[in-house]
Amino acid sequence: MSDKLKDIINKQNDQQNSVVEQLDDVVQLVGFMIGDEEYAVPILSIQEIIKPFSWTRVPQVPNYVMGVFNLRGAVIPLIDLRAKFGLQTKKHSEDTRFIVMRHGDDVAGFVIDRLTMAIRIKKENIGPAPDTVNGDDTIIEGVGKQADKIITILKVNKLLERDF
Amino acid sequence: MDEFQEILQDFLVESFELVEKLDEDLVELESNPDDLELLNGIFRVAHTVKGASSFLNFDVLTHLTHHMEDVLNRARHGELQITPDVMDVILESIDLMKALLEKIRDTSSDDGIDVSACVSRLDKITGGTGEVESPVAVASQQEEETVEETSAQEEADEDEIDYDNMSPEEVEAEIERLLAQRQEEDRKKREAKIAAGEEVPQMPNPDEEVSQEEKKEEKKTTPAPTPAPVKQEKKEEPKAAAPARKTPAQVEQTIRVDVKRLDHLMNLIGELVLAKNRLIKINDDVEERYEGEEFLEELNQVVSIVSLVTTDLQIAVMKTRMLPIGKVFNKFPRMIRDLSRELNKKIELVISGEETELDKSIVEEIGDPLVHIIRNSCDHGVEAPEDRVAKGKPETGTIALKAYNEGNQIVIQIDDDGKGLDPEMLKNKSLEKGIITEKEADSMSDKEAFALIFKPGFSTAAQVTNVSGRGVGMDVVKTNIEKLNGIIDIDSEVGKGTSIKLKIPLTLAIIQALLVGVQEEHYAIPLASVLETVRISKDEIYTVEGKSVMRLRDDVLSLVHIGDIFEVERILDASEHAYVVVLGLGTSKLGLIVDTLVGQEEIVIKSLGDYLKGIEGIAGATIRGDGGVTLIVDVVALMNMAKDVKATTLTENSESSSVVKEKTQASDYVVMIVDDSKTDRMIMRKALEPMGITLVEASDGQEALNILKSGDYNFDAMLIDIEMPRMDGYSLASEIKKYNRYKNLPLIAVTSRTSKSDRMRGVESGMVEYITKPYSADYLASVVQRNVNFKSEFL
Repeated sequence: MSDKLKDIINKQNDQQNSVVEQLDDVVQLVGFMIGDEEYAVPILSIQEIIKPFSWTRVPQVPNYVMGVFNLRGAVIPLIDLRAKFGLQTKKHSEDTRFIVMRHGDDVAGFVIDRLTMAIRIKKENIGPAPDTVNGDDTIIEGVGKQADKIITILKVNKLLERDF
Repeated sequence: MDEFQEILQDFLVESFELVEKLDEDLVELESNPDDLELLNGIFRVAHTVKGASSFLNFDVLTHLTHHMEDVLNRARHGELQITPDVMDVILESIDLMKALLEKIRDTSSDDGIDVSACVSRLDKITGGTGEVESPVAVASQQEEETVEETSAQEEADEDEIDYDNMSPEEVEAEIERLLAQRQEEDRKKREAKIAAGEEVPQMPNPDEEVSQEEKKEEKKTTPAPTPAPVKQEKKEEPKAAAPARKTPAQVEQTIRVDVKRLDHLMNLIGELVLAKNRLIKINDDVEERYEGEEFLEELNQVVSIVSLVTTDLQIAVMKTRMLPIGKVFNKFPRMIRDLSRELNKKIELVISGEETELDKSIVEEIGDPLVHIIRNSCDHGVEAPEDRVAKGKPETGTIALKAYNEGNQIVIQIDDDGKGLDPEMLKNKSLEKGIITEKEADSMSDKEAFALIFKPGFSTAAQVTNVSGRGVGMDVVKTNIEKLNGIIDIDSEVGKGTSIKLKIPLTLAIIQALLVGVQEEHYAIPLASVLETVRISKDEIYTVEGKSVMRLRDDVLSLVHIGDIFEVERILDASEHAYVVVLGLGTSKLGLIVDTLVGQEEIVIKSLGDYLKGIEGIAGATIRGDGGVTLIVDVVALMNMAKDVKATTLTENSESSSVVKEKTQASDYVVMIVDDSKTDRMIMRKALEPMGITLVEASDGQEALNILKSGDYNFDAMLIDIEMPRMDGYSLASEIKKYNRYKNLPLIAVTSRTSKSDRMRGVESGMVEYITKPYSADYLASVVQRNVNFKSEFL
C-alpha cells in the first residue's frame, strides 16, 4: 500500500518537475482570429472566454469601446478588437466570443471573431515585433513562428490600457 | 512591539475623542467660569492624556500636559480666575496637544514640535515656581531613559519639588506614572536579559516591583513626610471613583470595528440588494406566466420576506456606519469663539440636532463646507456690535446650526440674524466681476441671485480679511455638496438674516434612482436630484436662442434631450408626448427630456473601472434586476454639458431608412413566419414555398424581434401566431410598430382565435390581416402576395 503511494507521489513529482521544465522554455497562448489575421495572448492573462451576450452602450467613447457588460456582478468594459484594429465592424456570429483578459486589477472583455486553438510555442520561436512598429507604444509583444504560419502575440497590459 | 502598537492605537483613539470634547467644554467654561463640574472634566482629560503619554514615553506631550494640568488645577481650586487671556493660552496648549497627538499618530514619536513657548506662558499663569521647574522635569526624564539605576532617586527628588503644589489626585497620578515607568524599565531589563540569553523566571518580577515600590515610598516619605498619609488615604478614593466613571461606558456596550470590515459588509449588502431586485423581477415574470397556480402564493411570500429582510439588513448595516453629526459640530463653538475675538464681533452659536446621524463618509466630507459657510456668516453676515445696536438688534449676533432628518435626506441648516443678502448688490457685484451678463442679471430671480455667492471668484467682502473674502470658500462648498449629491437652498432677507440649507442623502453606496428610457436605452438618475417629472406634448417646447425651453408654472425651464447628451441613435418613432425630468442641483434647475419613465428603483452604485472612468455625464453603473447594466447619470456634469447642447427638433423624421430596393426576382421577397408550433410553421412554409420567396422562421415573439433588430434581412411581411411563449403576437406587433423603419411592415395574424375581441386586439396592435386557422394554402399565399405587392411576372 505504502509502496504504491510512494510510487504515485514519485510519479506526481516527476510530472511536476517536467512541467516546470516545460514552463521554462515554452509559452502557452490562446489563438484567435480577427479579420484574416491570427493573434494570440498568453493563456494566463485570460480570465475566461464566454459567448456573446447583451451589453450596454456607453456614450462619449471611441467606436471600438462597445460599452459595458455584467460579469457576475462586476461591470466590465467591452472592446471590439475589429474596430480597434481598424477593420469594418461585423455582426456577431456563432463563432464570436468575448475573451475576458486580466492584468493586475484591470479587466476588460474583448470581442474576437473566432477562437483558433491553445498554442504551445517555444520561446526561441518568438521573434521581436517588426521594426516598423517600434518603441514602447506597440501593442505587439512579438511574432510567434509556427510550421505553416506566423502569429502576432499581443501585449495584454497594452490592450487593457486606456488610450483615449 | 505589537503589544505596544496596540496600546498606542488605543491611546490615540481615546486621546482624540477626549480632545474633541475638550474644545467644546472649554468654550463653555469661558462663559461659566465657575462651573466646577466642567473644570473637573477638563482637568481629567489633561490628566488622562498626561498619564498615558508618560507611560508611553512621550516626553514632550507629558511635559505640555503636565503644565496644562497645573493651570487647570489652580483654576479648579479657585486660585486662578479664568479670563479670556488665560483661555487663549489654554486653547493654544490644546492645539499644541492635538498637533502632538497627530504627530504621534503619523510617526509614533512626539519629537520636533516646540512646546517651550506655550509652556512658559502656562507657567506665567501659575506663577514663578513653574518656570524653574519645567526644564528640570525634562532633563530628569531624559536622564531616566539613559541612567536606569539611579533614576529612582532622581524621580524622588523631582517629585519632592512638586509635592507642595500637588493635589492628592496629582500625587496619585504621579505614583501611577512612576509605577508605569518602573514597569517599563523592568520590562526593558527583562528583554535585555532575555536577549543576553539568561533565563528569567517570570514570578520574581512582580515581587521585585513591589519591593522597589516599597523602597520608593520609603524614600518619598523621608524628604516629604506630610503628603504621605494623604496619599494613602486618597489611594482608595480614585479607585472607587474610577469604576463609577466607567459605568456609563459599559452600559453603552460598544466595540470598535475596522471601517474596512464595514465597507466590505456594505458591498455584500449591495450585491444582495441587486439579487433581491432580480428575484422580484423573476417573481413578476413567473406570476404573469403561471397565473392562478397555487405555488405562486408561496413564492410570493418568500419573495416578500426576502425583500423585506434585505431592506432591513441594508438599513441595519447603514446604521453601523452612521456617526452623529455632533462630531463635526463640536469644533464650531471654538471656531466661533476665535472668529468673534478676531473680528471684534459678538456672536453666539446655537447648536441643535447634533445627535442626527450620517454616513461616515459624508461626515468626513461635510466638515469643510460647514467651516466655510459659518466663517462666511461670521464675517459677512453678522454685523459689528455697534451696527447691530444702531439697527435695534441685540448686540450679540446669533448663528444657529441645526441638523435634522427629512425623509431620505438629512438637512443641515445654518441661520444667522445678520444683514442678509441683497440680490441687487449681488447682481451688480457679479456684473462688475464679469461672472454674469447684463441679460442674465435682468432675468434673474432673487434665489438665483443668492446662488451667485457660490460662483468661483465671487466675493462681496470689500477687502480680503484673514477670515474670508478670497472668493474661494463658497465655491468649495458648492463642489463638495454636489459631490455628495446634495442640494443647497438659500433664503435671505435684507436686514433680517440668511438661512442656508444643505440637503444631503443619507448614504452614498445605495441610492434611490429614477429610471428613464430613451429609445432602447435606460439611464438611472439619482432621485435626490429629481425635483419632479412632467408629461408634456411637443408643442409646449419653445426654442429661444437655439435652446429649448418650456414654461413650468411661473418659471422658464431650459430643456435638453437626454439623447443629445448621450449620443443616442434615434431608431424608435418619436411619440407625440415626452416626459421632462426636472433636475435640481444646488440652486440650478434643468429639464431633461426623456422618452419614457420606467420607475423608481433602489440601485447600487458600481464604478466603471479604470478603463472607462471619467466619462463626462456618467457617474457609474448599476446592475438591474434583469442582469443588464444601466448607467447612472452624473447630474452635476450633465448640467454643465447641457449648456453646450443646441436644441434639436424632436420630430426629426428619418424617412431615409426606408429605401426600398427594387425586387428583381421572387427570392428578393422576404417573409418571416412566427409560430411556436413546428407543424404550423411547416404548413405555412409549404403554402408559400411555391411562390419562390425567402422564408425566415422564428419560434416566438422574442426571437422574431431579435431577428428584426439584427437587421440581417429586409422583411416585406410577417406572419404572426397569437399564442406563443415569452412574447405573444399582440405584444410582438406593438413592439414592432415602435420602430420607425417597420412602421409600414405588414403584419398578418394567423391564429385559431376567432372571437371579435381577438380581432379587435389584433387591429389595435397594428396587424393588417387576420387569418383564422384552418386556412387553405391558396388563401394564405394570396393574402401574402397582396400584402407584399408581389409582382405578377414572378408567378
